[in-house]
Amino acid sequence: MDGLNEILSLVFNATLVRSTIRAATPILYATLACVLTQQANILNIGIEGIMIFAAFAAVTTSYFAGSWVLGLLAAIITGVVVAAFMAFAHLKAKADIFVVGMGVNMLAIAMTRFLLQRTFGVSGSFHHNDIVPMPRLNFDFGGNALLDTLFNDYSLFEPVGIVLVFVLAFILYKTVWGLRLRSVGLNPLAAETAGINVTFRKFEVMLYSGVLGGIAGAHLSLGYSRMFVENMTNGRGFMGVAAMFFGGANPFWGWIGCLIFGFADSLGSRLQSLGLPSQFILMIPYVVTVVVLTLAMMRKKRAETARKSAI
Amino acid sequence: MYKTSWGSTLMTIILSLALGAGAILLLGYDPIEAYYQLFRGAFVGKFNIGGVMERFVPLMLTALAFAVSAKVAVFNVGVEGELYLGAIAAAWAGYAFTGLHPLVHIPLCFAVAMVASGAWGAIPGALKAYWKVNEVCVTILMNYVAIYFTSYLVGNPFSARASIPRTPTIEESARLLRILRPSRANIGLFVALGVLVLVWWMLYHTNWGYKLRHVGQNPFFSEYVGIPPKKVMIWGMILSGAIGGLAGAIEVMGIHGHFLDNFSPGIAFDGMLASLIAKNDIRMVPVLSLFLAVLKTGALGMERFTGVPKTLIDTIIAVFILLAAMEGLFAYSRRRSARSSGEEAA
Repeated sequence: MDGLNEILSLVFNATLVRSTIRAATPILYATLACVLTQQANILNIGIEGIMIFAAFAAVTTSYFAGSWVLGLLAAIITGVVVAAFMAFAHLKAKADIFVVGMGVNMLAIAMTRFLLQRTFGVSGSFHHNDIVPMPRLNFDFGGNALLDTLFNDYSLFEPVGIVLVFVLAFILYKTVWGLRLRSVGLNPLAAETAGINVTFRKFEVMLYSGVLGGIAGAHLSLGYSRMFVENMTNGRGFMGVAAMFFGGANPFWGWIGCLIFGFADSLGSRLQSLGLPSQFILMIPYVVTVVVLTLAMMRKKRAETARKSAI
Repeated sequence: MYKTSWGSTLMTIILSLALGAGAILLLGYDPIEAYYQLFRGAFVGKFNIGGVMERFVPLMLTALAFAVSAKVAVFNVGVEGELYLGAIAAAWAGYAFTGLHPLVHIPLCFAVAMVASGAWGAIPGALKAYWKVNEVCVTILMNYVAIYFTSYLVGNPFSARASIPRTPTIEESARLLRILRPSRANIGLFVALGVLVLVWWMLYHTNWGYKLRHVGQNPFFSEYVGIPPKKVMIWGMILSGAIGGLAGAIEVMGIHGHFLDNFSPGIAFDGMLASLIAKNDIRMVPVLSLFLAVLKTGALGMERFTGVPKTLIDTIIAVFILLAAMEGLFAYSRRRSARSSGEEAA
């Protein structure tokens, strides 16, 4: 019994909160980017590629210019450029957004691998002491160990992400801009009739999601870690898409989805270090998302049937 | 809408190769020499041709799997997961059954793999058919579940207790005969081509295939004329999953000889892109898969002999896919040139 307690206290302690937030934040930015575009009915599957490009731009700029602010700016600009290309391909050149997204993901992996070799002469990963990371937030709690573990030593964009969830929720649900954006996604014809330029809105929203994707990449390479690794997103963009679906394109519920992903991730690695098969824990978020999606759609269908029979 | 013209595909290929040549020139290499070495690296010598075939088989099968699902209007992004499940099922059937004749053992392995991954493919199919759950999302998520599940199996019950996580080596009777030695190409190539022809014949020359395409184009009308759209959609997904599983089985039985944890570097995603460029046209699937396989194999030779990095070829492939996707791009410029020529005439 003591052994079990010991194991439980090893797995579940205050640092689990931290590692959950730490693991969830890169996914959170991807989720918010997808939430924005999904509200305009664009499935931004290329967020993974945007993040990889941005992460590379951030590391390169931070290394050469010696400033994380410039790195972040470069990442955002890169994200916007890639997103603008995707928007052009989808809206102007009539490409399927799904194909464009997958193409951009592939391009990002191949091109950053290529640029990594050309610029730094390394393959696989690049880390160097000259890469300036993002600052970490530290407060003085007078040596209180619990508060220290819970609230100290966060990378700058970890708390910013949480604030952004609420900002985005406010913009989407409480402002005119948000209402118009959602109307573009819900019924483009009605939106067009109401005088909203649907194509322009979609383009605009893609650019904003490029900004968020850029931040996601910069955070991944300068905040979450301090290097660039080939394919360093490792599916986090897809997880962002999944969390967006989990939350039904609502930023708040999307955030909850990210926290579940982050929680399972940190729990999995802890259990693995104890010699348990972590794979089943790591599976949980994906299974949960599928189940939640299915339940949501079942409920929707039942509501529709009920409405029909009432008529 | 789902029609490709040979002309536009060819034009995209030429344009992307030209862009690649530009990039090679910028890097200070000779593009003609680079492309010459690329095609030498793909076509000269048994080893190189075998290398192309080795890559072609899984690419073509996964592309076919995607194209079949697209026929019932489902985007099956989960072929990667099906590939993994098929691979581990075939590996298990390959080492667990002993003393069988190859003519029994090989079909048995194929069958086990196809049943496992077909059943896996049925799940998103059923969710989409009955409750309209977004299949792109579900299949992406299920890929992770499948890969973690195989990773668990290969680490625990199916482990060979070797230094790397892999299953025991399969019996000799489950091995696919190698052709074109010393490459790892094998008779899986003929299996794959046979499946391609069979699927094409089934889709376009049988009642069942007609129903499948019918449902993909208009499920409401299918329901009206008495074709059950939900069931047909699920069957389409089962077929798609089974083809994906077959690709995994051939990888294990012909190339590796055992299931290796995380063995696929996104093969099915490349296959999916090949199918997407082909606009899910079954006749174009082998052509584009072969093209991608040639580029990927030849890139190695090109890197060895000219120093042009092979990652550049991956970049060119991605550009090619993006260009091919932007069908409006050429139409746009054509319309503009038509207008300008009209102005000249006036």
